Amino acid sequence: MNRISIIRAQAIFMSPAVLAATLLILPPLLYVFYTSVYGPALSLAAYGQVLTSKLFRQTLTTTLVVAGLSSLLSLLLGFVVALHLARQPARRRAFLTVLVLLPFWTSVLVKCFAFTVILGREGIINSMLSWIFGIKIQLPLVLNMVGLLVGMTNFLIPLVVLPVLASLLAIDSAIYRAAAIMGAKPARIFWTVTLPMSLPGLLAGLLSIFVMSLGAFIVPSLLGGPQDQMLSSLVAFYNREVLDWQKASAISVVLLGMVFIFAAPLALWRRRKLKA
Amino acid sequence: MKTPRSTVSRRFLLAGAVGVLAAPMVLKPSRSAAKSDLVTLALQAYGGSYQATLEKQVLKPFAQETGIKVNLVPVPDLSKVKAQLLTGNVEWDLYEGEGAQAAFGSKQGFWEKLDPSLFDVNDMSVAPRGDSVSWEMYAGGIAWDPEKYGAGKHPANFAEFFDLKKFPGRRVLRKAPSDVMELALLADGVAPKDIYPLDLDRAFKALDRLKPSVASWVEATAQTISLLQTGEVDFSYTYPNRVKANNEPGGGKPLAFSFEQNLLFTADLAVLKGAPNKEGAMKLIGYCQRPEVQSRFQNEAGLIPVSKKAVPMLSAEVRKWQPDPSKPSHLVSNSSYWADHYEAVSRRFNEWILG
Repeated sequence: MNRISIIRAQAIFMSPAVLAATLLILPPLLYVFYTSVYGPALSLAAYGQVLTSKLFRQTLTTTLVVAGLSSLLSLLLGFVVALHLARQPARRRAFLTVLVLLPFWTSVLVKCFAFTVILGREGIINSMLSWIFGIKIQLPLVLNMVGLLVGMTNFLIPLVVLPVLASLLAIDSAIYRAAAIMGAKPARIFWTVTLPMSLPGLLAGLLSIFVMSLGAFIVPSLLGGPQDQMLSSLVAFYNREVLDWQKASAISVVLLGMVFIFAAPLALWRRRKLKA
Repeated sequence: MKTPRSTVSRRFLLAGAVGVLAAPMVLKPSRSAAKSDLVTLALQAYGGSYQATLEKQVLKPFAQETGIKVNLVPVPDLSKVKAQLLTGNVEWDLYEGEGAQAAFGSKQGFWEKLDPSLFDVNDMSVAPRGDSVSWEMYAGGIAWDPEKYGAGKHPANFAEFFDLKKFPGRRVLRKAPSDVMELALLADGVAPKDIYPLDLDRAFKALDRLKPSVASWVEATAQTISLLQTGEVDFSYTYPNRVKANNEPGGGKPLAFSFEQNLLFTADLAVLKGAPNKEGAMKLIGYCQRPEVQSRFQNEAGLIPVSKKAVPMLSAEVRKWQPDPSKPSHLVSNSSYWADHYEAVSRRFNEWILG
């Protein structure tokens, strides 16, 4: 295929997605921008008020910490799961993939209430520990950062497993054999073949879960502690409770800006990596 | 080369096709609600069986009597009312929600003026305002697990709820200043008649004492019950109708609720400005205020009727789960105070929780 026909093919395949995004996502997004600067008069006042407020800064810090930690945890755990899945014969893998997807299909609300039962002071884990050691154990596992991270990780793992599994399966098994024949030990094969070659999937997974966790709303409010408030609940507060849409939009725009700030370098790096 | 040209035309065709497909979604929805025999009621939804009971005991009989069908839309808040008025595309006729929300909407100019001849003011324990009217009240108070905490072992009023020495244990409060501020001041010894305007500094000072023992500032009402059920907390601020529903057969482990001191909130009705069926909405408001309608509905829903005549018509079983509104220790939340101060207090409250 020459260059022009490649571009042509790209245009044809991408135009439905681009069109849908332009028609359905762009107008409301532009309206959010518009609302954030246009209140009684055209001004950036809402941004000033939002950025200087203590509430916003604290919430922003929590959001970044929670999104970062839960993404890393999910990435590590999800990678291990994907590695295991990639080694299974196809039928078994299909079955196990369904097991990974099962919690993904369950309502996040239901999962959060279930986690209260599992992680609570009188929950399954604490009563098991109490029974084993014969003393009353009440580890604080929920309504704090631990509960929040457990809930977030549970929610995010399937989103890591699927892209990573796709890149792992795309690796030609002849490369593994070649590496083994050349005398590489399993650890060496992992570091020089598996990891670099599954990097596209890993980065895609990381990007999507980090972006998703920046906007988390239900899990922090049901499983997190009093201090673990994230930006989305601040947006909900201004949007729904006090109907101050200008500030709600300003926070949303800042949140969206953050997504770009984190996503752009990752996307660029990934592109360079793919070219190399 | 002709190839690029053909690409353009194909892309153009595709765009046109998608545009045609998308057109009905972008165009204004038809105003089917403008029919005079249909009222759309937006109900601030709390979940549970409330909605089904409302349909069975109020909306169906109303339709039989007047021929006006009521279309029920559960909504979480006022934001969609604002959006409808902003775009001039008003789809709802009537809004039902917390008193503070209705008062806030009134301040924003969301509602139509109500015709005073709709109501028998003498029969109402809460007087109607110019553009909204209360039709039921609900209570908030302290709940606990009676298996764990017998008589005298649990807080029964708000001062005791704040007494961490006498009643140590983890607590649940709502993440809503309009529940928490009044409670803190009552706990700190302010008499119910002197509560408004709120002494916020005093309230926050009292809350500072309680804060380390508050395990969660709950947003989802269901958690005020489930956290008690799972033993995650010892004492919870919740609502008697929730406890009653929980204690019914098929519910969870029975919980206890104190009627010694409660906060009382109103639920209000208001007609949206430019409602497609304003007349029908007014009719429904008038119908909802009738004593026999209120007693029929609340005998199943379990909240407190605003109609004074409806109260004695409630069954003993229902009244067992209601506070006696005449008790001087109770406080009726002042919706108009919150309409003016909600935003500022709420921001301070949220900052205080994080601080």
